[in-house]
Order: sequence, then C-alpha cells, then structure tokens
Amino acid sequence: MTGKPEVTPRTPEAPGAGIANQPRPKTSFTALAALPAFTALKGVFKPLASLRLTIVCLACAMFIVFVGTLDQVQIGVYEAQLRYFKSFFLYFTLPGSNFRIPYFPGGYTLGAVLLINLVAAHLARFKFTWKKSGILILHSGLILLLIGQLITSVFEQESQIQLDEGQTKNYSESPYFDELAIIDRSKPDSDEVISVPASRLIKGQTISLPVKGLQLQVDESYENAALINPNQLPSPNYPHLRLGPMAVAVAIPKTYKQNERNQPTAAVTLLKDGQAVGSWALSSGFPQPVQFKVGSDPFEIIFRPKRYYRPFSITLEEFKHDRYAGTDIAKNFSSKVRLVDPTAHENREALIYMNHPLWYSDLILYQAGFGNNDKTTVLQVMKNPSRVLPYVACGMMALGLLIQFGMHLVSFVRRRVIA
Amino acid sequence: MKKIIPWTIFIVFAGWAVSNMIPKKPSSTFDVTGFGKLPVLAGGRVMPMDTLGRVSLLQMNHHGVEEAAENQKPPRKPSQTQWLLDVLMLPEHADGAKVFEVTNPDILDLFGWRKSGNYSFNDLQPFFAKIEEQAGQAAQTDADARNAFQRGIVRLRDVLRLYVQLKNTIEPQDSPDFGKEVQVFQQAIQPGLDAVRNRDAGKPYDDQAFQRILLFTHRYQSLAQAKYAYAIPNPSGKTENDRWSPVSEALLGAIGTGQIPYPVTAYGQMVSAYRNGDAAGFNQALNEYQQYLSKNFNPEINRPNLEYYFNLAQPFYQSLVLYLVVFLLALFSWLLWPKVLSQSALLLLGFAFLIHTAGLILRMYIQGRPPVTNLYSSAIFVGWATVLFCLVLERIYRNGIGSVCGAVIGFTTLLIAQNLQFDGDTMEMLRAVLDTNAWLATHVVGEVLGYSAVFLAGLIGIIYIFRGVFTTSFDENASKTLGRMIYGVVCFATLFSLVATVLGGIWADQSWGRFWGWDPKENGALLVVLWNAIILHARWGGFARERGVAVLAVFGNVIGSLSWFGVNMLGVGLHSYGFMDQAFGPLLAFVASQLVIMGIGLLPLKYWRGIRARGRRVTETGGVPAHAAEAG
Repeated sequence: MTGKPEVTPRTPEAPGAGIANQPRPKTSFTALAALPAFTALKGVFKPLASLRLTIVCLACAMFIVFVGTLDQVQIGVYEAQLRYFKSFFLYFTLPGSNFRIPYFPGGYTLGAVLLINLVAAHLARFKFTWKKSGILILHSGLILLLIGQLITSVFEQESQIQLDEGQTKNYSESPYFDELAIIDRSKPDSDEVISVPASRLIKGQTISLPVKGLQLQVDESYENAALINPNQLPSPNYPHLRLGPMAVAVAIPKTYKQNERNQPTAAVTLLKDGQAVGSWALSSGFPQPVQFKVGSDPFEIIFRPKRYYRPFSITLEEFKHDRYAGTDIAKNFSSKVRLVDPTAHENREALIYMNHPLWYSDLILYQAGFGNNDKTTVLQVMKNPSRVLPYVACGMMALGLLIQFGMHLVSFVRRRVIA
Repeated sequence: MKKIIPWTIFIVFAGWAVSNMIPKKPSSTFDVTGFGKLPVLAGGRVMPMDTLGRVSLLQMNHHGVEEAAENQKPPRKPSQTQWLLDVLMLPEHADGAKVFEVTNPDILDLFGWRKSGNYSFNDLQPFFAKIEEQAGQAAQTDADARNAFQRGIVRLRDVLRLYVQLKNTIEPQDSPDFGKEVQVFQQAIQPGLDAVRNRDAGKPYDDQAFQRILLFTHRYQSLAQAKYAYAIPNPSGKTENDRWSPVSEALLGAIGTGQIPYPVTAYGQMVSAYRNGDAAGFNQALNEYQQYLSKNFNPEINRPNLEYYFNLAQPFYQSLVLYLVVFLLALFSWLLWPKVLSQSALLLLGFAFLIHTAGLILRMYIQGRPPVTNLYSSAIFVGWATVLFCLVLERIYRNGIGSVCGAVIGFTTLLIAQNLQFDGDTMEMLRAVLDTNAWLATHVVGEVLGYSAVFLAGLIGIIYIFRGVFTTSFDENASKTLGRMIYGVVCFATLFSLVATVLGGIWADQSWGRFWGWDPKENGALLVVLWNAIILHARWGGFARERGVAVLAVFGNVIGSLSWFGVNMLGVGLHSYGFMDQAFGPLLAFVASQLVIMGIGLLPLKYWRGIRARGRRVTETGGVPAHAAEAG
C-alpha cells in the first residue's frame, strides 16, 4: 500500500460501537443471599432450577454437537458453526422452497437456558457450605465461560493479512465476507471508503450510499461464481456477467469447502440523482479497481474481501518454512515482520511463529498459513474483547473440580480406613 | 503350598515374557545386529537401520517381516534388518523377496493375477508403466475421496518408489562393486579437477580424466534423484540438516573437497565384502565404522542404539500377550481355585504393567517427547493409564474386578495400537503446531486419561449388567460396590476430560487465536465432558441409581470411541494430524455392541437373574423384595 493512507471506512451497517461498555457478569451471590427478600424469591426460581432441565439441556447439547459435527463434512466447519452452534434454532428447509421449519433448539438457545438454569439453581438452593464450595466455584466458572463465549461469538472479529515478502499493509481481510467498496479519491490526504457487504447485494434492490447522494442499484448478483474464458461458455446465451475481454462469471452453487472461498459477483449501476454514473460487472474473485468520475471527482469501485483498516502497518521482511531434515514435514513457520504505528510511535521488528503470536493493541496476530513457494505468509488477526474470560473461567472450573472430587476422595479413603 | 502355586504360575509366564525380550544370537556369520544399530536419518529423525527396515516393510505389507525369496531352500524367515541389508547391499537378491502386498481384486486383475498375497519387485516389474499410469490418474482424486482401488494403487506406487529409494541409500543400485567404485572415484577426483581447471583456462587438458569426472558427476547427480534416507554422517555439521547427508551429496561434495568422507568409504567396504560373502571383511569394516561413530557421534548414537533393543524386545507386544494371559487366568478363577488363580492374575497384571511402563518410558526417552504424540501412542497410553487405574481399584476393593478390567482394556488398546502402527514410523516427527512439549504433556495426556477413565467406567458398567442379568451371585453388596466403582471412575473421567478440554481451548487460543472453534476433535472432547456431566447430574438428582449409572457408563464407551477415533474419520478441521479411514467398520460394530449391551441393561428387573435370586433370598429371610430400590 503506497500513496495516500486510507482512513477508517464508514459502512451503511451499524458500527460495532460500545464493546467496551459491556456489563461485567456478576459471579458472586454472597451479597444477594444476605437480603431478606431473597428467600422469598427462591420459590420463584424453583421450576427454572430443575436438575431435570439441566440434564435435558446437556443431552440436547450433545445432540446438536453430534449432528453439527457430522454436518461439517458437507457444509464445512464455519457454516456448521453458524447453523448449529451460533443459532437459536436448527431449521429444516422444505425441499424446493425457502420455507424453514425450526425443529430443534440451537446453540444460543441451549446456552441461554443452561445459563438461566444454572443461575436459578444456585439462587434457589443457595446455601454456602464448605462441602459445596467446589461445586459453587465450578459452576461459577461455567457461567463465566458461557457468558464469555457468548460475548466472543457476538463481538469476535476474525481476519487475515496476506503478505508477500517486502509487502506492507495497513488492513486485514475477512476470510469469509466480501464487500463492494466505493472509494472517493477526491480528498488530497486521505480516501473515503464506503463498503457494502456482499450479503446486501440483492438483485433488484437499490441502496443509498452516504456520499454525494449516490445510490447503488443491483442489476444481478451471484453468491458464488466461476470465472472462465468467454469461449468456455456452454452457449453464448448462457447467463453470465462479463468482467472483461478475457473473463466472464457464471453462477455456481455456494461452496463450503475448507480450502475454497466463495466468489460473489454482481452487476451494479451507480446512480446520482436518478442518473446513471456507470454500470459494472465486478467479482471478488477478480478484485481489480475500476476508475470513474462523479462530476469531476475521481472514484474507484472494487469488489474485494471485506477489509478492516488498522492504525498501524505490517511489513513482511522474511518468511521461513523449516522442515525436518530430509523430509517435507513442517517443523516450523515463522514470519519476521516490521510493525509501524505512527500514532503510538512504534517501529519495531517482531517474529511470529507457531504457538507464538504477536500481541498488538487489541489484536493478536498468528501464523496461519503460507503460499507462493514460501514467499507469502498468511497471518490470522483476531480481535476478541472477552479473550481473558475463558482463562479465568477455566481456572475456576479446574479448581472447583479439584476441590469437589478431592473432598470425595478424602472422605472415601477415610471411610475405608475406618472400615 | 497355597502361596507357591500363584508364584509358580507367575514365574512361568513372566519368565516366558522376559526370555522373549532377550536378544538372540543371530544365525548369520555377518554381524547383522551391529549393522541394525547403525544410525541413519529418515523421516526427519535419526533412527537405527533396524527401524528403517521395519518401518519400510510395514508400509509394504501388513506382516512387517518379508516372506522368503523364491527358489531359496530351505526357506528362511530373515529379520527386517537382514532384508534391509540385502536391499542396501545386494539389491538383485532383495528384488526376489516377496514383500509387496497386493490384495485388492481390481489391482490383481490389472496384472492378470488371481491370488492375493505378497509379490516381489521382480514380479511387479513388468507392470511398472501400468502402475504409474493408474496411480497418476488416481492421485488426481482428493485423498479422502479415493476408492479402494485408487487408494491401493497409489499406495503400491508409493511403496515401489520407497523401495527404489532404499536401494539407492548407500550405493547406486547398479554398482557392481561399490567399494571399488569409491576407490576409483577417489583416484579420479584430483586429475579430473585439474583437467576441468585447465580446460576452463583454455590450456591443454587430459580429456580422459575430464570425461571420467563428468561421468561420475552425472552418475551421482542422478543418484540424488532417489534420495530418501540420509546414511552419511558429517561430524563437523552443526544442525541436524548439516550433520546428515544422502550418499549422493556426500559423493558430489567430495568433488569440491577432494576427499571422500570416511563413512562412504566404510559403507563401500561393507558392500564389497557383503557381496563377496566375506563375513570377516564385512564385520571388520563395520567394526571400524562403529568405532568412528562412537568417537564422533557420542552421545547421539545412544538413542538409535537403545531403539534397536526396544525394537527387538517389543515390550508392548509382550504386555499384550501377558494381558491376555491375565484375562484368561481371571476367567478361570471364577470357575475353579478362585483365590489362587486371581492372585496369580494380579501378580501377572502388575508385571505386564511394569513392562508396559518400561516400554512407555523408553519410547519417551528415545523420542524426547511426552507419552502421547499420535494416535498409536494414544492407544498405548490409554491402555497404560487404565491398567494403572485398575491396579488402584484392585488395591482398594480386592474383588478381582480391577484385574479383569485392566487385562481387557490393556489387551484391547495394545491390539488397537498394533494395528495403528501400519502407517509407518510410530515415532514420527511432529507437525509444527504440535511441536510443544508443555501442551502435549498437559492437554493431550489429560485428554487421554479422560478416555481411559471413560472406557474403564464403561467396562465396569458392562460387568455390572452381565453379572446382574446372567448370574445369581449378584447380591446387594456386589451391586453397591460396582456402582461405587463406576461412580468414582466417572468422577475421574469428568475431572480429566474437563480440565484437558479446557487446556486444549487455551492451547488453541494460543496458537490459532480462538478458544473454541467447533472443530470436530474439539467437539468430540466436548461430547465426552457433556456425557460425564450428564451421568453425574443424573446420579445426584436421583434420576439414575446404580443400574442407571451402569447403563449410562456403557454409553460412555460409544461417546469415547467416537471422540477418540470417529472424528478422525470425518477428514475436516484443523486437527488434521490424526486421520484414518479404514477403521470405520470395526468402530461401527463396537458402537452397535455397546448399544446391545445397554439394551440388555435396560431389561425389566424381572429378567435380571441376580435380582431375582436376591428377591428370593430376601423373602426367605422374611424381608421385602428389593426390586423397587434398584430401579434406575
């Protein structure tokens, strides 16, 4: 990325603000238990606190984990996550229609019910004794873990930076999502980027853009497309979008394979005050910017993987792929990068390798992949506001289990010694 | 007298196992043993020649030991090392050895053969073009989508390539007398270099010397195409990459230095002597090379040395057999001499466990890794941990259940391990993400301990059901004891699987950037945790009592086996270092058998002989039948 730095984009979607203001989960009931009104409340919790409900929920959880895992063979890990675990219901789609019938609670529903059940159980039967301290700590840890995973699944942001040796980037890209970006290059020191997520490109719709009264009209949209040479078309009339003299896109079914990416493709017309500024066919599989003008202002339009701009830039200085002597078995991958952050006055080298990520601001960069004859690295960029919660939760759960079973064991041994 | 019998039984079987582990004197006058210990770098690690032979043979056929060559009388069954020695030094002889297993009927048809079995390199030679063609086509299909024919033909091509590579490990396979060749080459280097220098400078040069060095260079360059195992050590190298080289590179390097490295010369002498049937000459060259190694490669040759004895002793195989004996002794103890036989069973179980432990420790030392590094070692470790649990249970309850369970699970897991080693080197190097001993030692070991406890609880559950339904000796006391054992073991299973799964999450967060990714292997671990949690909550809530917990624990076997092996068959996810696809049938059969046992366990109590008998006993003494209390 040379030339003018691009500024943070404005998107038509609501931005993910307010992450830092999430309420902290409450984990201590000791204070509550002291209140006299609390005893009266206990009765209310009784039905919610049923142990039978716990078991039913756990069994349902096993069912969705089992079915979801099996379905990963067909639809891939990511899609299975969305359908089974990060959903309120599992749906059955009637063949030949878009009618979906919910047939089973999804991960969110089960997680929420378990959470309520667990909290209610402790409120309803709460009585602190040393004998129950292990269970209490264990369950508090579990509550924390469930809440943490909920926050994670809502606010986690996963993206990747692909860098050739010597290349510098100040953004990362989504491995799943694509965007249609309209870039206003009229300002002297920065660009303005308006991005429309690929999922919003629905045929026949018109989207208002927050810049210069522009509107985007979607003339055609493919969820996934194969890019082929025009003379490979089965017939000249076969539905396709012409991307250039040597390439046309034809619609193909969405892919769920682990090593494939969908290439959404669309034909769009940009309108200003009802007048067409230009029409283009664009594909994320062929992310080349097209220049045009609105009045006298220079603009660009491009279909590309969704970008997340960063206040810092990363340069890949060297990528190394070590193998065990005399084999092709990978021993280690490492990326020597230079991190430059003008706002924080940082300019330093860092080494990212397996099991050794780089932590910077609220991001963590992992070594995730490589390519191009070991000249290109792929870094996974994770942003997870609740990253610490699992650690605390896990510690509590392990401690609780140890206390609980430790006490069981001690009393068991004592009984046997007496006997 | 009563004390002597158990000890006698113990000593007979223990002595038999020990005698199996003591190296035997080889029949050959050639020092095959010494050769078997020589270090060689293959698959990224330094191993003894013996391991190279074993691992290569295991990939070629499922028996590991080759069958005798044709027209060899009397047919002898040589050791893996003997076979490798032939491949390396007398390839034309090894070409007749029937080591390539061909069983797929479609592949047999391709060659016009009928009988499935082992064939020799010579047998297969006429079909090489066909094999290359078919395998080339098959390889275009994704590995997990190939059918049996495609898998088989690709494998056959790969093992044939491996065989050719092996033949070129220490000499070009067509060298009539490699010792002589090395000498000639040594003498050709200096004149050759002079000729090249003069030719480049435009001076007159010795064309014959020039042509000769050119010929050698081409010869060794094409030898480099077949490099696989690195046999030539280089004492001055710093990293493992520099310390070992294939013979081709050592020979080519000699053109630069003017001096052929001593190990190449030593191997040249061994080859010449071996080909001439000169045992004394072979042994002397070998001996000198060994002295050179111990002077320059101490202590790194210790591990290959030890590994050689580890290979010979086969500690896991010995314990496998002993576990079977323990199981039989324990079975017989229910029929006659209960005290005597169960005592010898326990003694022998302890001894088998000792051998098992010794094998595990040796493996860890040789590999320099925590106990579990792949599916094979996870089976070894599940067995070990379960037997340990069982010995503890036996110490507490002294009712023979521990011996039986330890023997059954020890035997089964070691049998599984035996079948898993067909993929090749069981001490293979670890993929990059696994290259961390700290996590291997905590997360992986914990997870495997969890499996051990799950299977142990499941087996005790089976014993509970069978004793209850089929025997009359199942009194209230036995029922209570078994119930308590299951509960205790399930507690351990929960502890280990939960802590290990959570540690796995932390490892994943450290190396992939997410605590939980719903990856199949993670889901498998989660299923185990959830199932254990269900058992415990069902017991605490009173929904399941002794019988209920026993039935639930049996289902733990299903969950455990799916999590351990089933998810590896899906072929998706990041944990793609433990895949296997052949074991689907056996896994399904196991799951079905467990479901049948659960069905038996759910039979109404009136069909439970144990409970009926108890009811009679209770009514005889004027009490109330205890059916109701038993419901679960």
